Amino acid sequence: MITPFGARSRYREFWIMSGVAAVLAALPWLLTLIGGYTELATPILLWGMFALGFDILLGFTGLLSFGHAAFWGLGGYASGMILLRVSNDLLLAVAAGTVVGGAASALLGYLTLRRRGIYFSILTLAFAEMFYYAALAPLQDWTGGDNGLTGIPAAQLFGIAMKGWPIYAVIAAATFAGIYVARRIARSPYGLILRAIKANETRVASTGIHTRHYKFAAFVISGLYAGLAGALSAAYQTYVPTDALHWTTSGQLVMMAVIGGTGTLFGPMLGAGIVLYLQNVLSATIPQWLLVQGLIFMAFVVFLPGGVVEAGRRLARALSRGRKRQPPVPDAASVKGVGSVHAD
Amino acid sequence: MPTENRPNVLLKVAGVSKRFGGLHALDAVDLAIATGSIHAIIGPNGAGKSTLLNVLTGLIAPDSGTVEFDGRSLLGLPTYEINQRGIARVFQTPQVFPEMSLLENVALAALAARDGSFRVNFFQHPARLDAVRERAEALLADIGLGAFLQTEARHLSRGDKRRLELAICLAHKPRLLLLDEPTAGMSHHETHSTVALLRRIAKEGMTKVIIEHDMDVVFSLADRITVLHQGRVIAEGTPDAIRGNPIVQEAYLGGVHA
Repeated sequence: MITPFGARSRYREFWIMSGVAAVLAALPWLLTLIGGYTELATPILLWGMFALGFDILLGFTGLLSFGHAAFWGLGGYASGMILLRVSNDLLLAVAAGTVVGGAASALLGYLTLRRRGIYFSILTLAFAEMFYYAALAPLQDWTGGDNGLTGIPAAQLFGIAMKGWPIYAVIAAATFAGIYVARRIARSPYGLILRAIKANETRVASTGIHTRHYKFAAFVISGLYAGLAGALSAAYQTYVPTDALHWTTSGQLVMMAVIGGTGTLFGPMLGAGIVLYLQNVLSATIPQWLLVQGLIFMAFVVFLPGGVVEAGRRLARALSRGRKRQPPVPDAASVKGVGSVHAD
Repeated sequence: MPTENRPNVLLKVAGVSKRFGGLHALDAVDLAIATGSIHAIIGPNGAGKSTLLNVLTGLIAPDSGTVEFDGRSLLGLPTYEINQRGIARVFQTPQVFPEMSLLENVALAALAARDGSFRVNFFQHPARLDAVRERAEALLADIGLGAFLQTEARHLSRGDKRRLELAICLAHKPRLLLLDEPTAGMSHHETHSTVALLRRIAKEGMTKVIIEHDMDVVFSLADRITVLHQGRVIAEGTPDAIRGNPIVQEAYLGGVHA
């Protein structure tokens, strides 16, 4: 668990971010080793960033949104329209997409966070579907309706055409920054407060904290990540499918987060990688791929709710237990004993 | 007891009623808590004690009546604002964060004391939290759990969870501490050390309202006692007066209607 109050060494974050940089640099090549292809690395990073921001909402704050397709899709449309009609500057398009994603999440968050649990989830789903249908018909002159937004020209950054390796480098750099910011948030007061809200909201409120403000902040942060990833996706694909706004996009996001392991930041990114890899590699050989994907998802929810990251942790624990036989925490009896003695 | 210019009455409850359907959970309850006192509220199960605390902490809105803290009304204020004004609460079942370390549990409250109910500091560097960490460590050491900073709260016994919750409440330096059955579910030894801890805090002048079933605890701690029965205040006075009150004996201590 990432926390501002852990017992950690000083250089831990430096080494973690160095590892992240190495993985980002090697990912296209790594994929070819396991039967994938280099181009798969870009969508994995885009969905990974989408899932990373989503984890701050689902994994940390415990809020299950089924409406994040709205922010990914609106970010994509905003970015695509800038490139199509205003300028082919990537920075401008991505900034516009991020701002639009963030603004839409502020609006939806304001409306939906008044309710909790399943009501919150249903509200996010309903609002997001409204954007989908708005893009499909009433706004089709702008969005391209059923065909999606087509004919987006290749973006430019400092005079370099954004396709192939250059755009992978830009997306990898954005992912690196996204991971750094997310880890800083997790190690800031917000990380602690959001996790506490997930565990016991009444206790947090009784401790003097305005929980709805913090939940709103988490919602908007995840919306900004979704907008950024969606905007980069539009520039990369030079196309925005209407499906970007469809609820299946939200569903796929939730699936990635759960398969990877929520509340760990890296887990949902890993989940994005696993789902996209299987989708692209297995769907070529298995015609009923979606059925298999559903079974995998169900297996994780039933047998391993902590996802792949939890599986890794259990494996590591089992291995270290084999080496040294010591309990990792003091047992309740010893805690109680010392606690009681000192207070007298 | 009262010092300087502080008002003698810290918390004033007047005519507070609350109905749940046909049940009068609270029926025109009056209560005055003197600054610096330990005020016990006793009564049989269902007398309305916890409902009263829920009204005081903003979790339930009363149907009628007034609640004033330090001369200002608390009615309509959200829970977090009531806490920021100086009222902390230890719940009947210990409310801590089981998956978080003891240090994180208390640091959360120390953060709320430093930053108020909301602040935009999601990018704050962990090094800026050193003061919060030190305060949390000091509070945990004070309640005797200082050796287990990185232990998750779920490993604690019920008694130690309540002590942890007490440390969470004390992080704010509250002016009024509400304790809902602080020794329930504790062993004799734990009860003894908790009473000692509460007495030590009392010396620091913190006003306390304590709901308790253990009469030994009540009579050894309280300066004043209010007896609730079926949502009504049936008696109020010093421990000696309550002990000798025939109405109280019939309603509660004798257990005839309880």
